[in-house]
Amino acid sequence: MPLLWAIRDVIGLTGTKYGCGVAQCGACVVHLNGEAVRSCVTKVSRAEGQKVVTIEGLSGNNDHPVQTAWQEIDVPQCGYCHSGQIMSAAVLLRENPNPSDEDIDAAMSGNICRCGTYLRIRKAIHLAAELQQKGKG
Amino acid sequence: MTEHSGNKTRYALPVSMVAVLGLMVSILTGMGSAPMDLRDATDSEARSESYKKDSIQSVKAFLEVYKVLMSPRCMNCHPAGDVPLQGEDSHLHAMSPQRGKDGKGVFAMKCSNCHQASNTPGLHTPPGHPDWHLPPADMKMVFEGRTPHQLAKQLMDPNQNGRKTKEQLLAHANDGLVLAAWNPGEGRSTPPMSHEAFSKAWNTWIKKGGFAPPAQ
Amino acid sequence: MRRISRRSFIKNTGGASLALWLGISTKGFASQTSLPTEGKRFTPYILVESNGNISIFNTKPEMGQGTFQSIPALIAEEFEVSLEQITILLTNGEKELGNGQRAGGSASIRNNYTELRKVGASAKEVFITAASAKWAVDAGTCYAEYGKVIHQPTNRSFTYGELVEEASKLELPKEPKLKDPKDFKILGKPGKRPDVPLKTSGKAVFGIDVQVPDMLYASVERCPVIGGTLKNFDAQEALKMPGVEKVVAVERLMGVYRTVGVAVVANTYWTALQARKRLKIEWDTHGFETFNSTEYETQLRGLANEEGLPDNTLGSVENLNLLPQNTLEALYETPMVAHHPLEPMNCVAQVQGEKVEIWTSTQVPSTITGSGANDLHKHIGFAPDNIKLHATFIGGGFGRRLNIDYIIEAVNVAKQVEKPVKVIWTREDTTEQGPFRPMTFSQLKGGFSEDGKLIAFQHKVIAPSYLEAVRADFDKTKVDNIMVEGIGEQAYEIPNLKTSFVRADYHVPLGAWRSVTSSTVAFAHECFIDELAYLAKKDPMDFRLELLSKPSDTKRVLEKLRVFSRWDTPLGPGKGRGVAQWEFFAGLCAQVVEVSFRPDKSVVVDKVFVVIDLGEVVNPDNVKNQIEGSIVMALGAAVKPGITLGNGRVMQHNFYDNPLVRINEVPEVEVHILADGGKVKGVGEPGLPPFAPALANAIFAATGKRIRRMPFDLDQL
Repeated sequence: MPLLWAIRDVIGLTGTKYGCGVAQCGACVVHLNGEAVRSCVTKVSRAEGQKVVTIEGLSGNNDHPVQTAWQEIDVPQCGYCHSGQIMSAAVLLRENPNPSDEDIDAAMSGNICRCGTYLRIRKAIHLAAELQQKGKG
Repeated sequence: MTEHSGNKTRYALPVSMVAVLGLMVSILTGMGSAPMDLRDATDSEARSESYKKDSIQSVKAFLEVYKVLMSPRCMNCHPAGDVPLQGEDSHLHAMSPQRGKDGKGVFAMKCSNCHQASNTPGLHTPPGHPDWHLPPADMKMVFEGRTPHQLAKQLMDPNQNGRKTKEQLLAHANDGLVLAAWNPGEGRSTPPMSHEAFSKAWNTWIKKGGFAPPAQ
Repeated sequence: MRRISRRSFIKNTGGASLALWLGISTKGFASQTSLPTEGKRFTPYILVESNGNISIFNTKPEMGQGTFQSIPALIAEEFEVSLEQITILLTNGEKELGNGQRAGGSASIRNNYTELRKVGASAKEVFITAASAKWAVDAGTCYAEYGKVIHQPTNRSFTYGELVEEASKLELPKEPKLKDPKDFKILGKPGKRPDVPLKTSGKAVFGIDVQVPDMLYASVERCPVIGGTLKNFDAQEALKMPGVEKVVAVERLMGVYRTVGVAVVANTYWTALQARKRLKIEWDTHGFETFNSTEYETQLRGLANEEGLPDNTLGSVENLNLLPQNTLEALYETPMVAHHPLEPMNCVAQVQGEKVEIWTSTQVPSTITGSGANDLHKHIGFAPDNIKLHATFIGGGFGRRLNIDYIIEAVNVAKQVEKPVKVIWTREDTTEQGPFRPMTFSQLKGGFSEDGKLIAFQHKVIAPSYLEAVRADFDKTKVDNIMVEGIGEQAYEIPNLKTSFVRADYHVPLGAWRSVTSSTVAFAHECFIDELAYLAKKDPMDFRLELLSKPSDTKRVLEKLRVFSRWDTPLGPGKGRGVAQWEFFAGLCAQVVEVSFRPDKSVVVDKVFVVIDLGEVVNPDNVKNQIEGSIVMALGAAVKPGITLGNGRVMQHNFYDNPLVRINEVPEVEVHILADGGKVKGVGEPGLPPFAPALANAIFAATGKRIRRMPFDLDQL
């Protein structure tokens, strides 16, 4: 069973979404040992004994710099893809505290937003970088 | 050269190329640290068999090797740019994943985020291998767009082949990721010959001198 | 964290009640809390409890368009409460809340702007009246603010909660006094959307997230050939899989099309998916298995010669004796496209005797619980009163969730299973089964008088009929006014106009796709206007404005856009800009697109300038978000492969062959909102139609290449 369905249907955490099932859309991104894996194609066995963080566990109070920036800029529309977007952006900011627009493209082109909130995602990632540098979030 | 001439139709080498080939051979053998010097070989096969440098046989073998290297299964991960290719038509990989310094992708778009240790079942799902990656940024080992001549030279040049010694190069035919080309996942073609045939051609090419076909 | 059971409030009985997990609060989310409460409904939309809690019911499903903020904002503004102090509740098609519980047509604000303000204003008035009576003072000396009534001279105050008892005895005034817009605290100001924190924490519940105790999961195999029917199936191998509970035939009704699929019901969704692959099904595809889009397109081109059904006629386009060099004719072609909300279709249904309970993401709660002729009850055989809906946040609608096919299907599975069952479509199901935006072909003709005036214009739409596909009782001899949307109503002053529709037979389910037919016919119409401008050797903006001599919204919008986009400032070499506008049922928007033409013959979309005319604006920041998104969606429809059929099957399956726009492809967008008190217009859809023609016109300006068919490939021009 893919990690996605184990997280959603067995564990019951539904913040991680199903969008395509073939690693195309990124709605199912979770952190596996810190990496933004696509849980729809990741077997549960790969995660056995490893650290998995879903959107529900990204921060204590919905206040990871990425989440704060997303709220500040009112990024989401329908919101369905944004668990995945946020999980991807969090990895970007950990590895690159001051990403350029090109870095954002490189990190985020795997996450589809059908509502088309991409301009705001870009803006929010820049803001999250600032918040992170100021130690806020 | 008679033997070569005898095979020229097969390789579609114009006669005028023969002279070029001769010139090229001399350049190659004059390269000093020649990676094709068989005296360095530790490969047991190389030791047990008596290989002689043979530009004709070597080139003939390479042209077989080339067909494999240019198949989508090999070329797609040896792109000219920094985005891998995808599919039988070797189009740019959807969602533009970037090579990254180590060839393993960047940030939230690392190869292994989608490409698992083994193929994901189903059509159009990510093929897998534990070590899925592109060549690193400091040595891109581009296959896409390379002529046989260019590619053979590149492969034999440690400064362009991932700093592989000849024995490492020989061993590379059986590298896990290379083998993955023959286990490509549902719906994907395999290279145009068996791995065994490829491996044989690869060995012949290198052991007979690692010669490059003439530039065209 | 308080939670409310709507049922208890609707009955207004008070007392302890168990919270519904669907309850949504501006303050966060929690599951299964119980609370004792006593509340009064002051209109169907407002609930005030004696403990001071205030709830506003949002009757317009939230699918990303922002109604979770904008609808309560209209009420809260006049009721004098802040959105932070209230609880916002999604509604479930309750009768008390009327049959307008529906999100579509960009109508939520434009049809309710004043009415919902009146709701808030009249509720405020009864609280002021109640307070002034308690104090025995003149109501005119009292005012309301932040959920309190204040007696100005003495600064005494009562909270609304403290006034519940008295206020509930008063009648709501029918024509309350509305606020002067200059006093607005919420409306017209950029406002935070209260659903956003739920969407950054993973706590927002979408239909697919619903969990009901003892729930089973189902996946349905449907005939891959559109139009095919089920002959028989062998479920033996599927049933052998541990966890598989049942395999049943299941009917789906999509508009006028009835299909039967095979549902695998199992203890996990993954098991259902795996077992589905083991089904052996025989379909009857006779008559449908050779259908392909290419031949159908040829057929549409052939139909361009037919007269068709008249739409709008002004003057007469006949016998004008135009010189051949003064006339132009062109055929424009657009493909089918899929909606692709990122949340795939899904629905949980539980049948218990005469009753059915439904949990789902839907744009049309009123259709699900309603008693109308086209409402759900007609299709599933339950009395409307026995249908209970739990609506959730919607992971994208775009028109797809105006249809109830996936709900009918889920209920039909649930009828055959003892437990609640969640049916989830795969992305492939969603891509392959429709409904789709119909393809439309447009034949256009235009002609100038000898003194250079555009005096004749014809737009003939050749397409399958949307209304025919969704309504069994539609009269095919009448023009389908959805298919000629907007083409006879543009503000351009052309003395002789003829618009018409030629219908083509079809058998593929069709649906309204965000901005409906305007996303296709505007492309043809506004590109052709550009062609005419070119023939007249005029600047495309000048040409349009010359056709707009009288005052009109379109004229205002284009004049503003000309300045806003710096239209008259030359662009550098290799660049081009194009303009288009479109007015239709949803509203009015005009755009200028700037492109660069690269040496490798590819085109890059650099920037889009947008002017949208709204009359009144509720949340300008949300309007901008909607426009930015509309452009991304319109870009995808213009340049990405559409939906095609071959051997009767949809040739696309998932995002790898039916790709959507990604972050690395998005142009800059600048939006100007016109909100100067005119007719209130919509937000959700008007951003789409002008984009494709403005882009194609920009490409013509940059390259000299005229594009008359969507999709077009920006990498190969």
